[in-house]
Amino acid sequence: MAKVPAPLRGVQQQVGRTLTKALGLTEPVSLRRTDPDHVDVPLASGPVLVVGTGPDADALATALLGWGVDVRRHSPQVGAPAQQRWGAVVAVLTDLESPGEEAEAVLAVAGVLRDLARCARVVTLSRLPRPDDTPARSAARAGVEGLVRSLGKELRAGATANGLQLADGVDVAAPAVLGALRFLVSARSAFVDGQLLPITSDGVAPADWTRPLEGLVAVVTGAARGIGAETVRVLARDGAHVLGVDVPAAGEGLARTMNAVGGIALQLDITAPDAGERILDRAERAFGGLDVLVHNAGILRDKLLANMSPEQWTSVVGVNLAAQLAITQTLAARVPDLVQVSLASTSGIAGNRGQTNYGYSKAGVIGATQAWAPVLAAGGGRANAVAPGFIETEMTSSIPAVPREISRRASSLGQGGKPVDVAEAIAFLASPQAGGVNGAVLRVCGQNLVGR
Amino acid sequence: MSGETLDGGAFDGGSTAGAPTRVDHLAALPATGPLYAGALARAGRAMVATASVGEGLPDRALRVADVHLDRARLDAYCRLIGETAGEAAPPGFVHVTLFPLQLALMGRADFPLPMLGMVHVANRVEQLRAVRTDDALVATTWARDLVGRPVGSGDRLGTQVELVTEARVGRPDGELVWQGVSTYLAKGVQLPDLALLDRPERPAFSPPVPTGGWTTAKLTSREYATVSGDRNPIHTHALAARAFGFRGTIAHGMDTAARALAALGPLRGEAFTWTAEFAAPVPVPGRVALRLERAEDLDVTAGGVRPGWSMTAWDPRRGALHLRSALALA
Amino acid sequence: MTSAPSYSPTASPTASSAGSARPTPNGTAVVVGGNRIPFAKAGGAYAGASNLDMLTSTIDGLAARFGLAGARLDEVRAGAVLAHSRDFNLAREAVLGSSLDATTPAVTLQRACATSIEAAWDVANKVTLGQIEVGVAAGVDSTSDAPIVVSERLRRVLLRLGRARSVPEKLKLLGQLRPADLAPVAPNVNEPRTHLSMGEHQALTNLQWQVTREAQDAVALASHHHLAQAWQDGLFDDLVTPYRGLTRDAALRPETTAEALAGLRTVFGNDQPNPTMTAGNSTPLSDGAAAVLIASPEWAAQRQLPALARIVDAEAAAVDFVRGEDGLLMGGAFAVPRLLARQGLGLDDIDLVEIHEAFAGVVVATTTAWADEAFAAERLGLPALGTLDPARLNVAGSSLAAGHPFAATGARIVATLATLLARRRAADPEREAPFRGVISVCAAGGQAVAMLLEA
Repeated sequence: MAKVPAPLRGVQQQVGRTLTKALGLTEPVSLRRTDPDHVDVPLASGPVLVVGTGPDADALATALLGWGVDVRRHSPQVGAPAQQRWGAVVAVLTDLESPGEEAEAVLAVAGVLRDLARCARVVTLSRLPRPDDTPARSAARAGVEGLVRSLGKELRAGATANGLQLADGVDVAAPAVLGALRFLVSARSAFVDGQLLPITSDGVAPADWTRPLEGLVAVVTGAARGIGAETVRVLARDGAHVLGVDVPAAGEGLARTMNAVGGIALQLDITAPDAGERILDRAERAFGGLDVLVHNAGILRDKLLANMSPEQWTSVVGVNLAAQLAITQTLAARVPDLVQVSLASTSGIAGNRGQTNYGYSKAGVIGATQAWAPVLAAGGGRANAVAPGFIETEMTSSIPAVPREISRRASSLGQGGKPVDVAEAIAFLASPQAGGVNGAVLRVCGQNLVGR
Repeated sequence: MSGETLDGGAFDGGSTAGAPTRVDHLAALPATGPLYAGALARAGRAMVATASVGEGLPDRALRVADVHLDRARLDAYCRLIGETAGEAAPPGFVHVTLFPLQLALMGRADFPLPMLGMVHVANRVEQLRAVRTDDALVATTWARDLVGRPVGSGDRLGTQVELVTEARVGRPDGELVWQGVSTYLAKGVQLPDLALLDRPERPAFSPPVPTGGWTTAKLTSREYATVSGDRNPIHTHALAARAFGFRGTIAHGMDTAARALAALGPLRGEAFTWTAEFAAPVPVPGRVALRLERAEDLDVTAGGVRPGWSMTAWDPRRGALHLRSALALA
Repeated sequence: MTSAPSYSPTASPTASSAGSARPTPNGTAVVVGGNRIPFAKAGGAYAGASNLDMLTSTIDGLAARFGLAGARLDEVRAGAVLAHSRDFNLAREAVLGSSLDATTPAVTLQRACATSIEAAWDVANKVTLGQIEVGVAAGVDSTSDAPIVVSERLRRVLLRLGRARSVPEKLKLLGQLRPADLAPVAPNVNEPRTHLSMGEHQALTNLQWQVTREAQDAVALASHHHLAQAWQDGLFDDLVTPYRGLTRDAALRPETTAEALAGLRTVFGNDQPNPTMTAGNSTPLSDGAAAVLIASPEWAAQRQLPALARIVDAEAAAVDFVRGEDGLLMGGAFAVPRLLARQGLGLDDIDLVEIHEAFAGVVVATTTAWADEAFAAERLGLPALGTLDPARLNVAGSSLAAGHPFAATGARIVATLATLLARRRAADPEREAPFRGVISVCAAGGQAVAMLLEA
């Protein structure tokens, strides 16, 4: 990967800004993100409107009241001056049996879209389509997906649209539903847009919603810099004891990252045959156990396939895929309720020119996640993946200015995400509040045009 | 200046033979700068005209009373030489403090040898106890033993003289604490009716394994000139040194000897006999190698052999001997 | 930036549980682990780093390895040989700049090249006495950022200038200065009393002990090969944290050969008829820092940290090199035999021997002296230790290959040896006798410190 010398980065930023003006593009909205000193305060940027007619909507509104949120069931009369801009709109569509039943709630949402606060949230709650659904019910449920994805592209000013798809039998007020909803309403999900997240079990509520990882032990690979370092910080902020792993060569950065959170650094090449044993041994010695494993470490060796050397292929697959398979294999045998979060990539979903090796490895991560999910679920654990889109990192700062600006703009939020956005998603999936999410791939891409 | 007889006497060998009968009192130790300037002027004349020197040694000793070692200068000296500065002075510092008396004597019109260009060939110090900064010293210098001697290996002759300096405490007949005998050689100067010494034995020198050494530098040489008061220009100016037949600036002999002694540190004790024979001059800048060696049978006093240390300094590049020195414990 | 977690069973703000029962005196002190930065060559990767920078980073690496961020330790004991006057409180400043709790006390000390092994000895003694539970011993040195001194005359004039009251007085003082006085004085580590460099001293020792060029080059070759192997085996993954882009010791030449070493020109002892010392069998001037964490076994157990090896005993020696009695760096020829004699041990009882390779000649001369019956009888009054099996010597390389930032070397060796002994113990848990290692670190001023570890 070609590194851009630091002085050139400024030039590139300048080019980016000039480009923005030249193309008549607006400056992107500054997204609302978590203040580490006031986590989840306020949870939403304004009152939360719950629309929907059934008992589920009432139950949900009641549950939300427990968080001290200003919950409303009805919008003010159309035409009346809006007293306050809405922080979030939650559309409860869990009782749809056939197309048409959604209309009232959807139109209720439409009525307040002009009165949304900056970085507001629209969240749908619907049921996960099943193969044995009647065609009408299946259509009604699946339709929500198209609604959410389209709405995401209509919203402005940092607002996002996402949906939760509850499996049948999962109560609308179940901890897993509330936990996921809380994530989507809060600043933690700043760069998650146009996504539908399946909730397949009830889960349990954390003791403290603002420190959902309290007392848990998390291991993060590739922790020295970038998304890994940010993940360490967010996990620690949320209450976890963190063991950071990175190659010995990255030890200086790793030490800095880990000391900042009172964590522990383990200099280790994850491709070493005993990597899993050493991680487990260090975590058990230091913290008395291991609960969460974040497979973040990854490398790039971009080359068109026609020009790719064997080393470029095997090293990427070895580090990005084979190593984490081996480590999870070791850990799963000893930690049955392991909660695993892996870093996939939009390259693994949509593909990317020059990244056949990387795309293979990241698509492989998704495949592995889906296969680990039932295995770990059997022991009380989970496996999920996060697929970041265009994130402003050292890695992406080396992309030339024009394609970089295009990549940024190619999302509904009109900007690139930050490492912390990915870290928030990882921390969410690692926490008990995502207890109902298993085998999922959560994109953190600002609803990038690329891929699904 | 009033004259009086020299009381007390040289204790070395218990003889005052050759000591002058008259003593001139100086009010204070003279400044060395004017003494050298005067000598330089005379030397200039002497180079033009043929040297006309007196015959025999002046029947005069020079004495100055109430001499105190200067503490600030002692500190500077110790720092330069590598001694630990304290209230007890290294013997080399007593030497440099009283050195102006020697210069004053050699600068007298009736002194038979030219002061400039004389070479310090040997030095000997008997120290009976440590000389301290709170001692009020009475110092007396006289010259003795004017003899002819061969110079180098050829037929050249020169004239050698010993300058004796003694330091007593409090009174002219007070406790003798320190006595120095400096041997100087005026090369190429021959005086009539002098006894002629045999050619001194020069055992071949092959450099031993060193135990230490030092480098000489213009800056430190100038510093030594300042701190010792011995501002003989051959130690600070290459042109002056060449005028007197050296290849370039040379280090003070007593600088070399004092550094070698400093390496010995406190092992020398407070009472000792310290001898130094200077061979080839030490070039500045340059390097000096040193060997310290324990010796059981130093034959440096009339009273028989004594244990102590030998100190040898040489040029590690050319292998030329600079200094043979010994310290015999009392 | 988030703050450290407020609750943690192990990373509590107070590492040494104040008020809890202290271990009893005559307890033991164990090496928990170590950390160092790769050693750089003078003027190399750390040219811009100060002693304080390097020491702080090394302590931070140690803290990260053992989860000590925010922890109050009982003591940090560290020093540098080439110390700036501004770093008069080096160890404490490093603590304040590190992730350790700011209430961790610190001592700055110096014993030349034996500085950090001395620090380790001190910390171990305090732990053993039950006065402290845990401490860090460390050392750092930079030859790239060494203090530059002004000439003695300029220094004195400047000092007096500060005290001068009137302008004429000041002008008079300034008038004393000559251009030559303004030239800075380069730092040197020559012995103050002999004015000889360590290399020149070792050349004399080599002469005294008839150390050949071949024997020295063989030590150098083994050092490079052993260190390269140790790096390859990952020994330093748990002992080194990279710094300023340097991930491995810069002096290391894994590919060096006997022929290459034999081809180097001599740099010391060139006044001698047959000089033998080259840049290959002498340590390069280096920059770097090393630290070792020492604690009571109870403290280590409480935090689930390893006890790699016990610090059993130590011995210091000094020789009178000024008067030429012994070579400057021959202290190990006295310290190690005395230490082993006191412990009732012979060379055969020692599994691993670490002799700091200030110069290859130090290793050869020291081991030759150990085997010399006459030397042992006359100088030590002890039976000779005997011949050392080279397979036990510096098995993971030493200073010739790693470099030698003076004060850092002791901590490097203590941590490395403790790790090696712990690995031997892990590989053979059944062996009844402890795995023992002895260290010899020679130092300026004719000193040496020997230390005995066992696992």
